[in-house]
This record gives sequence, C-alpha cells and structure tokens, in this order.
Amino acid sequence: MSLRVDPALANELKEFGGGTVSRCFNCGNCTAACQLTNQDAVFPRRYIRYIQLGLREKMLGSVDPWLCFYCGDCSETCPREADPGNLMMASRRWLIAAYDWTGLSRLMYRSVRWELVLLFAVAAAVLAWFSLTPGFGFRLLAAHPEARQTVMLQCFAPKDVIHQADVALASVLAALLLSNAARMLYYARKHCQPAPASAWLAALGEFVIQGLTQKRWRQCASGASRHWLRHLLLVFAYGTMFLLVVVFLKWFQVEDASFHWTSLPGYAATLVLLAATLSIMADRRRKRDPIHRHSDVSDWLFVILLFLTSLSGILLHAARILDLPMPAYALYVVHLMIAVPMLVVEVPFGKWSHLLYRPLALYLAEVERRAQRARAAAPAPLAPQPAWGR
Amino acid sequence: MAKIQAHYDGAVIGGGIAGMQAALDLAGQGFRVLLVEREPSIGGIMVGLNKVFPTLDCSSCICTPRMAEAAHHERIDLLTYTEVEEVRRTDGHFTLRLLKKPRYVVEEDCIGCGKCEQACDWFVPHEFDYGLGARKAIYIPHGNAIPQLPVLDPEHCMFDGACARVCPKNCIDFLQQPERLEVKAGSVIIATGLKLTPMEAKKEYGGGRYANVISPLLMERMQSSNGPTGHVMRPSDGRIPRSVAYVQCAGSRDRTIGVPYCSRVCCMYALKQAILIRQHHPGTEVTLYYMDIRAFGKGYEQFFRRALAEGVRVVKAKVGRITEEPDGDLVLRVELIDEGGRVAEIRHDLVVLSQGLIPAWRPVGIVPARLDEDGFFEVPEVTTRPANSSVDGIFVAGVATGPKDIPDSIVEAGAAAMEAAMYLDRISRVEAEEAAMSEVSND
Repeated sequence: MSLRVDPALANELKEFGGGTVSRCFNCGNCTAACQLTNQDAVFPRRYIRYIQLGLREKMLGSVDPWLCFYCGDCSETCPREADPGNLMMASRRWLIAAYDWTGLSRLMYRSVRWELVLLFAVAAAVLAWFSLTPGFGFRLLAAHPEARQTVMLQCFAPKDVIHQADVALASVLAALLLSNAARMLYYARKHCQPAPASAWLAALGEFVIQGLTQKRWRQCASGASRHWLRHLLLVFAYGTMFLLVVVFLKWFQVEDASFHWTSLPGYAATLVLLAATLSIMADRRRKRDPIHRHSDVSDWLFVILLFLTSLSGILLHAARILDLPMPAYALYVVHLMIAVPMLVVEVPFGKWSHLLYRPLALYLAEVERRAQRARAAAPAPLAPQPAWGR
Repeated sequence: MAKIQAHYDGAVIGGGIAGMQAALDLAGQGFRVLLVEREPSIGGIMVGLNKVFPTLDCSSCICTPRMAEAAHHERIDLLTYTEVEEVRRTDGHFTLRLLKKPRYVVEEDCIGCGKCEQACDWFVPHEFDYGLGARKAIYIPHGNAIPQLPVLDPEHCMFDGACARVCPKNCIDFLQQPERLEVKAGSVIIATGLKLTPMEAKKEYGGGRYANVISPLLMERMQSSNGPTGHVMRPSDGRIPRSVAYVQCAGSRDRTIGVPYCSRVCCMYALKQAILIRQHHPGTEVTLYYMDIRAFGKGYEQFFRRALAEGVRVVKAKVGRITEEPDGDLVLRVELIDEGGRVAEIRHDLVVLSQGLIPAWRPVGIVPARLDEDGFFEVPEVTTRPANSSVDGIFVAGVATGPKDIPDSIVEAGAAAMEAAMYLDRISRVEAEEAAMSEVSND
C-alpha cells in the first residue's frame, strides 16, 4: 500500500490543542512509561509519529488515542516536555472531527466563535419553540389564566408533547452519532485483514463492560482511580437523568406543586451531577493532575453546561414545589435552553461523543487482538513453491 | 611545597586533565603559573577512570605522568585543597581570593609515609571508589594522588590521636585553621570540569534506591585494576552479572531534569565499558538502550562497530521505568521502536545509568565571566575563539564550557594556554608602551 504524506497535518493538529507535537523526538519513553500499553496497545509514540509524518490514513484508521485515559505518566516524564498525554487528547478531538461527516465538529473545534454561535442558535430555537408554537408554551399559557395563579405544567409544556420532542431529538442525535461511529468502524477496519465472526462476538463483552464501567481506566497510575470513580458516578447520574427525562417523563414530570416520589432518583442524580461538575471545575482551575493541566474551550463548555443544566433543573423543581408559577415556567424554558444545545452540540459533534467512540474503540482493539491470536494459532499456509526452471 | 608567590602570569583553576594541560602548555612557553585544585589531589575525574576510548589505553597511565609533570614543573606552583572565593579584575591583572582548607597535616613537614593512615582505626566509604571501597578517617586520597599527602576528614575522625602518636615527623595538627590567600595573576584559565547528574534525577529508574542500579563511574572503578573489586560485580550480592543493561540518556537530553543537551561522552564510555565487560566475562550479555548513538570523534564510529562485533547488543529504546525484583534483578520497560513499536519488559541483573555531565562549579558572583543558560561558561565566539570567555583575560577549557571528552578537553586546554600567552604578550607590550609614553612626557 502506498502512503500519502501530508506535511500540514502537524499544523492541523495544533488547531485541536496539540501545540507540542513538533517537540517529540520519538524516543518512546511515553509508551514505556504508560501503564496501559502492552503487546497489543502501543501508544502514544507511534501515533505521534503518524502526526509528524503526516500519515492521515494511519491516524484515521487507528483507535489508539481512545485507548488512552490520560493519567499523565507520559507527560510527567517526557524528556522533550512534548506532553504526549495532551497530544492524545488533541488527537481524540481531531478524530471526533474526522469521524463527523457533517463538518460541524471540525468547525466548532477549530473556532470557539462557531461553537458559541451554534449553542446560541439552538437555544434560540428552543425559545422560539416555546414562544411561537400555537397550543404550546407561552401561547398555551395565555389561553389558561388559572395556570398563572398556581403551577400547572400541563397548561405550559404538556408532557406528551415534551415526550415526543424528547424522543425525536434523541433519535436525530442517535442517528448522527451512529452514522459517525459507522465511519469510525469503517476507517478502523479498512486496512485490517477480516476478523472471524467469533472474534466479533467474543469481544462484545468488552464493549458492554467498558461502556458501562470504564474499568480500564483503573489500570492507570495511582490517583487515576479517584478520577475514574467521579467519572463513573457522573455517567450513572447522567444516565439516570436521561432515562427519567426521555423514557419515564410521563411519571417524572409532575404537573402541579405537589411532591411525588419519582423526584427522589432525580434528587440523587442531580446532587451527584452538581458535586461532580463542581469538583471537575475546581480541578481544572487548580491544574494539579496532568489530566486537568490543559483545558480546551470544549472541555470547559462541557462541564459548565452540565453544571448549569443540573442547577436550572433543581431550581425549576424548587419553583414548582414552592408553587411559583411564572418562575417555574421561565426556568423550564431556561433549563431546556441549556440542556438541548448542550446535547445537540456535544453528543454527536463534541466531547460527549466519546460515550460511544471509546467503548467502540476498546471493542475494535479487542476484536483485532482476538483475530491476531486466531491467526497466530492457525497452521501456517503452505509456502508457494519457487518456480524452478523459469 | 614551593612558596606561593604574590604574582603569577597565569592562574589555572581546576587541576583535572584540562587544567593540568593548560598549566603545562602555559608554563612551557615560559610563563609562571599557579594551579589551584579544590580536592586534596590533582588528576580530576580522569585519574579514576579505567581506560580511555577509542584506544582503550590505560587512563591513569596517561594521566599520572601529566600530574607529576604539573606538580614538579619549575614554573608551576600547585595549591591543592583550595577553593577560589573570588576572581576580581583590578587594573591590568586579576586578583584571586583563595581559601586553603585545612588538611590537619603540616604539608611542609609531611613525608607521605602513610603511617597515620595505617594507625587510624576508622573506616569510611571511599569517595574515590564511589562508596564501594573504604578509606580511613585520615588518608592519602588514592595510590596515584599528587601530592602524596594525607588529609584528615574531621567529620569521621574520633580524635583518638592514634595518627599523631605514630607520625615520625610529628606533623598532625588538629588545630590547623583554614588559610586565606590573595594572589595576582595576569590571566586566568578556568578548567573546572564536570560532575554527573544525580543518580536520583530520574525517579522512575530507581537510582540510589535499587542496589544493582549503579553509576558508570562506579563501573569504571570496578573495572580498574586498582579498583576496590578488581572485576565487575553486583553490589547487592557480589555476583558477577550475567546480563548488564546500559540506560543511555539517563541524565541528558531530558527537559524534565533541566538537562536538555547531549552530554556527548555517554555513548562512548558505555560502549567502552561494554566491550571490557564482554572481554572479561564473555558469558555476560551487555545491552545498550539508546536514543541515538553519537560516535562523532576520530575513530569513534569504528569503535562503535567494534563493540557490535564484540557482541554488545544495542537496542533503540528509551527506558520508561525500572522495577526491582525480590532477587535484586531489574526489569526495564521499553518500547522496541525498531520492531515496529512493541512494548517489552526485559530482565537484567545489573543496570548502569548513563548519567549526564553538568558543570562542577557554579561561580555566580565569584568570576566576572558570564555563564550560559545551562550553567557552563559562555563562549561568545564559539567557532573562532573557542577558549575565550566573555571577559578579556579569562580563558576557559574542558567541560567548563560544555560537555566534551578527554581528547577535546586537551585540545581546548592547549588553545586556552595559547590565548592566554597572546593576551599576556599584548598586555606587556601595552604596559611597555605606556611606560615609554610617560617617559617621553616626563622629558
């Protein structure tokens, strides 16, 4: 296979936060220092070499950056202070942009302005939806003067409408994310020998377990398990809220000022979300661990939006319980004006896409590992006979 | 001991190979020279080495004749165990403030018989053998030391008087005080050499923590015929190692420890030691883990090829970390770059950390010449005047200006001596002209 070389690739990576890529002199200290590398997982050095040489195809086809959990052992000991951990992070951003066929991801990672424009555009659309739709939102409220005396959410945002919108949004975002993931799968397998079906099946467990627990992270250096636990709690809290809002909205959205037991899991999840996002923001400000030393705008937006979503959600809940109708409706809109843009921008195009890409990458790595084992175990094919006498 | 004069043509600071050579080359042109060394003996690092690359000549056999020549030269005065506290420029010459540390032995009277050393009951790990051998609390620094005078180490001395009782010249003086001297010199040559980066600098290598992770200078002593062991052994159990690893760049080309530059000698000394291990113990494997082999001097590339022919294995890999096994063996974790990037953990029973070179002396506020960002002396015109510091009249040679090997240090020492001679000639002619001018005006 011939290789196409793109000398501008290193500069391109710099736009995704990989400013130190040219410092690396390829000693391999990072790979040897990493706790996660082994015979089957060799990074970051090799991937950084791809970037320096401008091997776009190799970069696209490798899932190595997703095998890294950014413990920072490599960055601490890198003799060139090239910060390989951060280069892996930048490579993940580059890959997210490369997987995304719409081009929006690339636009947003390379320009903060575009990211903000899109967030505000979606927020404005949410506001417009509540303001302009006949028989919904503020126009529905105008028809029900009694709902201005006491909280009556069915006269503002009826849950069947919201539920349909939830499902529609979730479907669109899932379709976008899945189509990007399909591209990832295609690039990753493009230059591989086909793997046997048994390898594909046997590795499925890895996909499920890693997707649910991210337990590979725990093999990282000491100190990583604190980050892992916080991340796990965040994932579960977020998953809980997602289920409550998208699937069980019929029971979760209480229409009046009364208290209902379905709020209890919401309390627990919101508490975890607030605590975890605050603690992440504190760590990102303190910059003590390598993982928090370089914060891209996308890293900040992700955690800030999640925090604001949780905060506005809990305020909305308080306003409803205290029977403050107008603040409750306003907070309902504000809550969605934060949550919806966050989901639309982050899930298929941004940092949150790693919820699918990372387990998928670990799965693909496991498939390839099993395929290679199977190939090594199989009897070697007969060598072609030399053509004597020709 | 010659009486120290008040005025010299040149003062050479540092009595290692570069300093001795500079002193000899300047004195050889008819100038009077003072050679100042802060250790009790001249000879520097080189006199403790086993062999020199690329010829594998005996190091002390080359070094000791120069030591003797410098010590006995009629135009060189020697001040050992003396610190330089200040070099100041005063009209037309330099004034050196010196601190002569007490040996607690009257140098003028001592005949170097060594009876004090034999009588002393207190053993101390020997610095010359990097802690592997032992010395007494009063000791002649080593067999080749010049001057052959004992020095008393008050930190370990019990003051039981055993040495004083046996001294035939009655020259042990427990009350000796440091002595301050001031001398003037027309020019100054600085050749203060190197020290190695600390063994502990790279924490992940376990230097200073694991018994069988050793310094290359300790390896030199073990390989030396006058060394503490006479052969290579593992410090933990004294066994002859079966598999030795050299970890290159364990103190060089590494920004995290503040040494971003290449130390230039580690590839060659490691290859030299590896060849000698293979020659003495053909059953012992030697592996060099390197980033780049930098064999740049005359005959060096051939030396590298020779090492390969002698069965030294070289592996392109930067060692990521070293862990210790219960039996004292060590496991090195590397990425084998030449095998397509494969992670491997390789077991060895002795590891040498190729430490880097850093300046031995940081004379900030002591010498008016500028240092560069790495702490070596700045050489403003490095391509055309490699021995000139930023101050006219102060010259530099050897590792004081940057890492270099013995041949380069000797060349640079000669250059420094020649520059100093030209400078002294220029100064004396200016002085003569000024004297002539003042005579004319007086008439």
